[in-house]
Amino acid sequence: MEAALETRIRELAEELSRTEPVTWRRPAVALGRRQLGSLDGRPALRSALFRFVDAAPACRGPFDRGAHLRAFVREVDGERVPLALRPLRGPAAVGPLLAAYGLASGPATALLARQFIAGRDVKDATRTLRAMWRHGQAFALDLLGESTVSEAEAQAYFKRCAETLRVLADAAREWPEQPLLDADHHGRLARANLSIKLTALTPLLRPLAPERGAADAARRLWPLLQLARELGAHVHLDMEDYDSRETLLLAFEGVLASEEFREAPSVGVVVQAYLRDADETLERILSSPSLTQRAIPPTIRLVKGAYWDHESVIAGQRGWQAPVWAEKRESDACFERLTRRLIDARDSVRPAIATHNLRSLAHAIAYLERCGGERRELELQVLRGLGDDLAEGISRLGYRVRIYTPIGDLVAGMAYLVRRLLENSSNEGFLLRQRHQSLDELLRPPA
Amino acid sequence: MNEDFRNHPLLELRLPEVREELLGAMAALDRELPLRPATIVGGTESRGDGERSTDPCDPAREVATLEWAGIDAAERALELALAARWPLRPPEKRVAVLERAAGRLAERRHRMTALIVREVGKPWEDADAEVCEAIDFLRYYALSARRLHDDLIQVPGERNELRLRPRGPAAVISPWNFPLSIPLGMTSAALVMGSPVLFKPAEQSPACGWEIARLLLAAGVDQDALAYLPAGGDLGRWLVAEPRIATIAFTGSVAVGLEIQRRAHESDGQRQIKRIVAELGGKNCVLVDSDVDLDEAVPAIVRSAYGYGGQKCSAAARTLVHQGVADRFAERLSGAVEILRVGPADDFATEVPALIDPGAVSKFNRYAELCTGAELARAQPAAGPQYVSPLLVDAGRLPDDTPVVREEIFGPLLTLERVRDMDQAIGRVRDLPQALTAGIFSRQPDRIDELIERLPTGVVYVDRAITGAIVGRQPFGGNGLSGTGARAAGPSYLRHFADEQVISTNVVRHGVVL
Repeated sequence: MEAALETRIRELAEELSRTEPVTWRRPAVALGRRQLGSLDGRPALRSALFRFVDAAPACRGPFDRGAHLRAFVREVDGERVPLALRPLRGPAAVGPLLAAYGLASGPATALLARQFIAGRDVKDATRTLRAMWRHGQAFALDLLGESTVSEAEAQAYFKRCAETLRVLADAAREWPEQPLLDADHHGRLARANLSIKLTALTPLLRPLAPERGAADAARRLWPLLQLARELGAHVHLDMEDYDSRETLLLAFEGVLASEEFREAPSVGVVVQAYLRDADETLERILSSPSLTQRAIPPTIRLVKGAYWDHESVIAGQRGWQAPVWAEKRESDACFERLTRRLIDARDSVRPAIATHNLRSLAHAIAYLERCGGERRELELQVLRGLGDDLAEGISRLGYRVRIYTPIGDLVAGMAYLVRRLLENSSNEGFLLRQRHQSLDELLRPPA
Repeated sequence: MNEDFRNHPLLELRLPEVREELLGAMAALDRELPLRPATIVGGTESRGDGERSTDPCDPAREVATLEWAGIDAAERALELALAARWPLRPPEKRVAVLERAAGRLAERRHRMTALIVREVGKPWEDADAEVCEAIDFLRYYALSARRLHDDLIQVPGERNELRLRPRGPAAVISPWNFPLSIPLGMTSAALVMGSPVLFKPAEQSPACGWEIARLLLAAGVDQDALAYLPAGGDLGRWLVAEPRIATIAFTGSVAVGLEIQRRAHESDGQRQIKRIVAELGGKNCVLVDSDVDLDEAVPAIVRSAYGYGGQKCSAAARTLVHQGVADRFAERLSGAVEILRVGPADDFATEVPALIDPGAVSKFNRYAELCTGAELARAQPAAGPQYVSPLLVDAGRLPDDTPVVREEIFGPLLTLERVRDMDQAIGRVRDLPQALTAGIFSRQPDRIDELIERLPTGVVYVDRAITGAIVGRQPFGGNGLSGTGARAAGPSYLRHFADEQVISTNVVRHGVVL
């Protein structure tokens, strides 16, 4: 049985990776990728450039931007610096030269950001979303923003979410029917799909007092859910770092248990397989007594998790065992375990498997097939800018693909962008590995 | 050294079961209250009543009932200390005592954390960090005492050696805001270097002090080498003036620190220049440059200024912000201050607890009054006599000569100043006589370096909160009026507690090196 599954995983992975790269549709993407790839093996340069990208939007004009770039580039030690940046290390790197670099770096950063971020706001992004829809891809919109430290900021985020839901629902209503995207085994799927950061919906998120944060977030989450119900939209609660995990689960359980939202709207939550207690978390959600009473089962998005470094560093500084698996293969194994558990539970939830890992993806599909599931029973999700090629392959196999699509301005989007860039260029990152390693290596089962 | 030392792990308070455990320890402690700390001299405990310490968050709750030690007790303790054999104990034994004490403290960490929360109104997370710091001090000084040696130049026929000698009795005079870690650090440093200790805790925290004395005695400090003398300022003054005291280790205010400097050698019959190891107050500034990432800076500054109600010597008191980001910064910081949770220290949601005593409250209120009309934001106080309303103040609306931006307030009050650029900010920091900690929020490496070079403070924090120094990682102490220069938990701290002795031996006999 296992051997048959492995064989099928391999077939599927070959099928998925045979897809032609879609970068021709966005030339900047191809260019950006080549440059990012060239940073592999030059960690100091990479760190310098990413710190620059991070700081650039906060600079006061071209000269200031140029001065920052110079300072970062001058810190690079013992590595080859690209020809284009070398003048910054010389004595002539003053005044006009700095301003010139500053001027040039603005559009360069914007171009880079555009790969991963679909627009400044939802109106800016509607065309892109419609094109994706016509192409057979659903979306999960994410609003990038500064962190929330005050009531006013929580309120502003709430308003942005509400406005986005309205615009999305309005626009998506006119789009043509896409049977695979519009329904699954549980019925209609919402087209307007918004991911929400609970940490942005309350300034009171404190890891030592999760009840307080959850209660405060609920004050704004409830009206959003009412609006989503009215508009027929889906609201997804995103997971962030471990400090906020308990608050988020409490808030989600509050939603599940509420009489008011039993019929609608469609809601969802995330489970992060890189956490050592991911299995317990998924069980906790699946065994929630209110789960079966809901008219629309919640979507459970399984991800690997994006804060591995953060969690490890924090835990290391405080002398804790990190909440994340130490080894990548442990996360991978957990991901497959939870994939099976989710697919087994597809009668009471909507499973959404979000990964760019070829093996994890192929495994989910192969397992569904083995269970005799229909294609529409499984949703696969990727990130804009990182999973574009995979998305094509997924569609080709006849599965519903949803693209996690962030929008927001450059300043706000920088934290997200830098994380994506790091993934895209790090030695440990699966993307580079997938480019360099053989299919055999990539498809080895995680033990 | 650095490879062999590990900081004691903090409790992972974000896990509910860990919080439960602490609440259990608190319930157990509450059943024992009030504690009955004793004066300890020569291993003998003597008790009385008439004095007490109370829970700052609920002053009706008595934490300890006791009697102050008299000068006669101190006199006796000093005579015992002068005759003690502790300085002659092999260094290895003294080191082992510290290590044993660290182990015992680690076993009792929950109870000690609860006691700190109760006696000085310190919220859980800070109280736990303090217990870890105390354990770290013991282990760090033990390890560091083992490694102290200096190589001198040797030439044929001559053997040169530098030894560290015990200095004689040390007086440890400690503050209430770190009632466990600071006195334990000073006491253990003196003890491990062979000095007997007369320990006078702050009046507000005699129960914590008593736990320290019992811990060290149980771990094997000779009974005549450690006296516990809970008392008021008069006994402190006696210790400072006493000619037979060799070392004074003090942590507290600049004013008292200067008084100690003045009075230490006033009385007749001085036998030595006293060594004064003093950690004094600060007026700590955080510089916010135009390229700041406010998402990082605002929470870090809030924590630095208002954590434990600003009652840390490292707390942020002034923030100097580049005019380019000042409006946005002021708006976001104000919003973050308004939602600060003021409440009892034993509530895990509390960010700002009650102030230590009524004196601290009236001092805070005096400064708050000077800020009338210049407030940018305030948080709601809780109900209770020692709670105050945390304040953010626009220093631009205060008179130029206001003491609010020069004096240490030791309460939840932060001032915000707009500056033309970072040069102007540095100028203002350098105008202050205190030079303890400072913070920089900037993202341009060469500019950060330039700022650091011009900052006079003992510790500079870049892109992070300016409180929470950790043993061995951020040795702590001030320059200027903020201290005598020792860095607690730094590589050279123990040397302040010892005398140096150089021995040069001629090893040439009959014209031959033998």
